[in-house]
Amino acid sequence: MTRSRDPRGEKIVLPGTTIELPLDLDLTRRDVLKIAGYGSLAAFLAACGGGTATTTTSVTAKGGSMSLGSYLSDAVPKKGLQDVVDAFTKANGGTKVKVNTVDHGTYQNQINSYLQGTPEDVFTWFSGHRMRFFADKGLAAPIDDVWNEVKGNFTEGFANSVKGNDGHVYAIPTSYYPWAIFYRKDVFQQHSYNIPTNWDDFKKLAEQMKKDGLTPIAFADKDGWPAMGTFDILNLRMNGYDFHTELCVGKQKWTDSRVANVFKKWSEITPYYSPAFAGLTWQEAAKQLLQKKAGMYLLGLFVSEQFVASGNPDDLAQLDFFPFPDLGTNYDSEKALDAPIDVFMMAKKSPTLSADSGQAKAFLEFMSKGSTQITFWKASPGAIPTAKDADQSQYPALTKKAAQIVSGAKRITQFFDRDSRPDFSGPNSMQGFLLSYLANPKQDTSSLQGKMQSFWDSLPPE
Amino acid sequence: MAVLARPGRIRPSRIVLHAFLLSMVAVWIFPLFWAVYNSLRPVSDTIQNGYLSWPTGGLSLINYQTVWTQAELPYYYLNTLVIAVPAVTLTLLLASLVAFACTQFSWRFNLTTLMIFTAGNLLPPQVIIVPLYRIYLSTPLPMLGELDVGKFGFPFFTDNTLLYDQYIGIMLIHIVFQTGFATFVLSNYMKTISKEITESAIVDGAHVLRIWWRIVLPLCRPALAAMATLLFTFIYNDFFWALLLMKTGDKRPITSALNNLQGEFFVNNNLIAAGAMLVAIPPILVYIFLQKQFIAGLTLGSSKG
Repeated sequence: MTRSRDPRGEKIVLPGTTIELPLDLDLTRRDVLKIAGYGSLAAFLAACGGGTATTTTSVTAKGGSMSLGSYLSDAVPKKGLQDVVDAFTKANGGTKVKVNTVDHGTYQNQINSYLQGTPEDVFTWFSGHRMRFFADKGLAAPIDDVWNEVKGNFTEGFANSVKGNDGHVYAIPTSYYPWAIFYRKDVFQQHSYNIPTNWDDFKKLAEQMKKDGLTPIAFADKDGWPAMGTFDILNLRMNGYDFHTELCVGKQKWTDSRVANVFKKWSEITPYYSPAFAGLTWQEAAKQLLQKKAGMYLLGLFVSEQFVASGNPDDLAQLDFFPFPDLGTNYDSEKALDAPIDVFMMAKKSPTLSADSGQAKAFLEFMSKGSTQITFWKASPGAIPTAKDADQSQYPALTKKAAQIVSGAKRITQFFDRDSRPDFSGPNSMQGFLLSYLANPKQDTSSLQGKMQSFWDSLPPE
Repeated sequence: MAVLARPGRIRPSRIVLHAFLLSMVAVWIFPLFWAVYNSLRPVSDTIQNGYLSWPTGGLSLINYQTVWTQAELPYYYLNTLVIAVPAVTLTLLLASLVAFACTQFSWRFNLTTLMIFTAGNLLPPQVIIVPLYRIYLSTPLPMLGELDVGKFGFPFFTDNTLLYDQYIGIMLIHIVFQTGFATFVLSNYMKTISKEITESAIVDGAHVLRIWWRIVLPLCRPALAAMATLLFTFIYNDFFWALLLMKTGDKRPITSALNNLQGEFFVNNNLIAAGAMLVAIPPILVYIFLQKQFIAGLTLGSSKG
């Protein structure tokens, strides 16, 4: 295996454990074409981005005002953030926080122009490549001084997830959620199914479910991204964390026979998928699980939102999950999985940042407290707090188990579209390739892999 | 009796025609009906029973109520209104001035001017987004206070000394891009106004602007009404400019309010259906109010001797 650059060896140590997990990727990225005409300005800004001045006095300030750009537009998380903001105002000498909420989809589409225009002081975002990209462009302000005061509350892995390529810290991690295989306890009980721990048992179980008239594995890929979750986990477990992360950033070739093996392995379970999955959304597939028409579903913890929305508390009580089964490879012991982390960052181009910097930093510090994260989590329980001192005793069984499965993993990734460059994870690239694979999983994938590699090669340097 | 004789006169072709028409109506009405139907059902009902099912929990307006409060629709209606009404009015005024000058008077470049305006209509707006974004970020404007409506403020000109992220910025770009099309349509209409009318006005001593305001514009009322309906729909539907030139969620137009109803992962389609119904109402109202003029605009001139 040839490497042009060594991975940074980023590690995660999970709350309540001593396990160190390398996390995330080494990325040197220049996404010039992505932002087309803004590139030169971004480069100029990056050139201007200096180090942070460390002061001996407190980096935070009370009172005054600050602004916050948020993509938490859905009613539930929006309320969670408002609760946090109210608590912050109270705790920080009446600091006025002006929140600008933009709907989730628009926020992501707009992020480039947003950060170069007149952004708010603090903004919500994702870790991984998506964070490093804006750090590299000089659009995010380093917050090493805040981090130095709060880092004791985070494991080393979370610490690495918020570090830019230049070694500075750019974000405060606030929540995460894992991907796993979800099922209904009552369905498993009724048919006396056992939780499969290896690939053969998994396939046998699927076969049995088919005989019992269930769709063994719910699957939906109308939106393109859900299939990447299955690719991630198979590649991680078959070829290891290092290979997967290097593949995501182009240091390994898509034409590699190891990628062919992933597709071959995948084709063993595609016959058990929901019929017509290419036209289903994840909510429709989740509905199959909820209505006991499907047996299992590999998805993120957010699948529970569909169970909450069903209005029947018993549905939610029956929802459970198990980790992806072992494949009998050397990499099983890594227990690697996708667990995306959401973060808060500071926008360098905010016109008010020079005046509000103390308040903005106070807010980031406030966000890193377990009590704050629990306040948010109580209003919006879809994701799990990151702080060590978050009071886990209030977690329901599902959340506890989710925190456990992540702490049991020795390697964690952020999900394909957060780990790879955006122009390689869109509908015209990876999402499209996976859909064309899934249209005929038994195909010889060499020509498809060739297409993937030549698409990667055709991308402009980032 | 003629009435009794009628059934005998129904020909097979007529039955086929009506069957065809009825099926077309069904095809067109069905999606709308389905959206209305599901907007009246709570999401838990459709998750449990699917979208193709009879309601178990009964129908209710709860989704509409939620949309109205959760997505703060009244404010977003206001946002769009603040942009659309001045933009439509100014576009029509400016376009009618150009069309008036180009069609009612003979001067050297009148045809060229008209062609330039028409050509401007062909320019895809996407081409100029980057320079436009830069221009908006570096155009200073005076801050002249603001009008507060509930939790929303409507600033006069700007609230951040820039053209970026302002109602007036979106308004201006709509005027710029719609004037070309409006000029094209209005000039074609004005060509049908006979020269004798304006000439006799000149003989009567009317000033150029007076001819435009008192004679040509009233004659163009049908065309203006038709244009107003179209422009209002265009601007009402716009998502693109606000996406690019506005960053404040609370200032964005009604089309973006619908997106506020979607979560990061979970989408309550019943709620969105209810929202879409409410959002569709204003353009329909505009059409109904201007309908009379609109139809007159289509047929006016057809029966002139």
